[in-house]
Amino acid sequence: MASSANSNPVPKLYRSVIEDVINEVRELFLDEGVDEQVLMELKTLWENKLMQSKAVEGFHTEEQAALQAAAQQQAQQSQQVTQQTQSQQVLLPQQQQVTNWQSTRPNVTSAPQQQVIVQDPKILQHMSATGMSAAATAATLALPTGVSPYQQLITSQGQILQVVRAANGAQYIIQPQQQMVLQQQVLPQMQPGGVQAPVIQQVLTPLQGGLPQQTGVIIQPQQIVLTGNKVQQNTQVMQMAGQAGQMQQVQQVQQVQQAQGGAAQGAPQQQQQPQAQGGAAPGAPQQQQAQQMTQPQPPMMLQVDGAGDTSSDEDEEEEEEEYDEDEDEDKDKDGGEDGQVEEEPLNSEDDVSDEEDQELFDTENVVVCQYDKIHRSKNKWKFHLKDGIMNLNGRDYVFSKAVGDAEW
Amino acid sequence: MAYQLYRNTTLGNSLQESLDELIQITPQLALQVLLQFDKAINTALANRVRNRVNFKGSLNTYRFCDNVWTFVLNDVEFREVTDLVKVDKVKIVACDGKNTGNTAE
Repeated sequence: MASSANSNPVPKLYRSVIEDVINEVRELFLDEGVDEQVLMELKTLWENKLMQSKAVEGFHTEEQAALQAAAQQQAQQSQQVTQQTQSQQVLLPQQQQVTNWQSTRPNVTSAPQQQVIVQDPKILQHMSATGMSAAATAATLALPTGVSPYQQLITSQGQILQVVRAANGAQYIIQPQQQMVLQQQVLPQMQPGGVQAPVIQQVLTPLQGGLPQQTGVIIQPQQIVLTGNKVQQNTQVMQMAGQAGQMQQVQQVQQVQQAQGGAAQGAPQQQQQPQAQGGAAPGAPQQQQAQQMTQPQPPMMLQVDGAGDTSSDEDEEEEEEEYDEDEDEDKDKDGGEDGQVEEEPLNSEDDVSDEEDQELFDTENVVVCQYDKIHRSKNKWKFHLKDGIMNLNGRDYVFSKAVGDAEW
Repeated sequence: MAYQLYRNTTLGNSLQESLDELIQITPQLALQVLLQFDKAINTALANRVRNRVNFKGSLNTYRFCDNVWTFVLNDVEFREVTDLVKVDKVKIVACDGKNTGNTAE
């Protein structure tokens, strides 16, 4: 199984740090009167985040390691996990080969073909360790590439939602369809801390054919739309107010595609549920809706001074003020835009920043360390560093010593 | 006290996020956990890691403030015995390693 000759020291190091920290703070927790359970939860969360970040290669939790060991014992040559039987994407031509091990797996594949499915077992094992249901596993596999499970939310009904983060930063919520009836209630605080990015929900309807279909709904932040199957052919769209934050007018349009026969519910309709209803979600109509992007517009400030102010005569000013007061709300965007448009050309050339964007870059490669000696000769710099952790191209590395040269 | 330098790493950030998520953990307790983490990571790096890295590139900016060096390098190659990693841009933050007696970063 070990492919590389040199073992990566990072996972072991992180493991040991986690163990040390957890053991050390156990006492602190008890002193504070916090339950041991919370400590375990902290550890689990910590490990999960590390796993999900993919910054560490080959980082497994103990459970996953046990799972892998058990799975390997079961599968052996076939390299398949039990969950794979429910996967719809690993259907290879069945070649029954009687091996010495006498694998009883229905999908026994020959050795050369094992390479094809090697990827999936790992993914599936990874999935199964995180406690996803089979449908969710298949759903996550069916996601476009570049999307990885990010978080798991547990709704009030105990359903596990997957919050997935796509490559472009948008967050998706995948809700496996288990033919359950969702409660028509407001789910309080579905997401901690508020979701900043627009949330796209994909509703997966397991079909008889086995391939899950995906429907997309793009909704605003702080709103969570759950769709559920009532009678297996109806889709119910509900709108939940995430938090008692802003109430925004949202046009939510949803399109549910159902390939199952007889699922037609009528012409697709647009569904508008203004959020001014205090967050309650009274029985949402069961409709099929077309899917559209929702584009919230941030409220723009009314600017009455500066370029937005049309000056001089008192009469005009008085009239302007009354005018502005009356139509304050309506003129929000217009007033703001008018003011801004004239301002921008004036200020746009004031900054002489030397590519400040570079400093604010998102996934920046960072090295955190200590310096032994920093030396400079003219414009030649020499660095002697030690005890560092590096994050380069998304991966983590460590070093006890680092020596570098650079020219300024 | 150990440097709080390593809190902004994958390991440190995931710990901070986890602490934030668990409401049963008071802020005071969370701080204690982080302090413990600082100690643990400093010790681990000093004792358990034994590898060497070379790098070279071009220096874009340098800053030395409060005994902390901050560099931004471009087109850097990090070379270890096993492999080579190239990046367009890297930020290096380095605290004084001569004696670990300083508090804060």
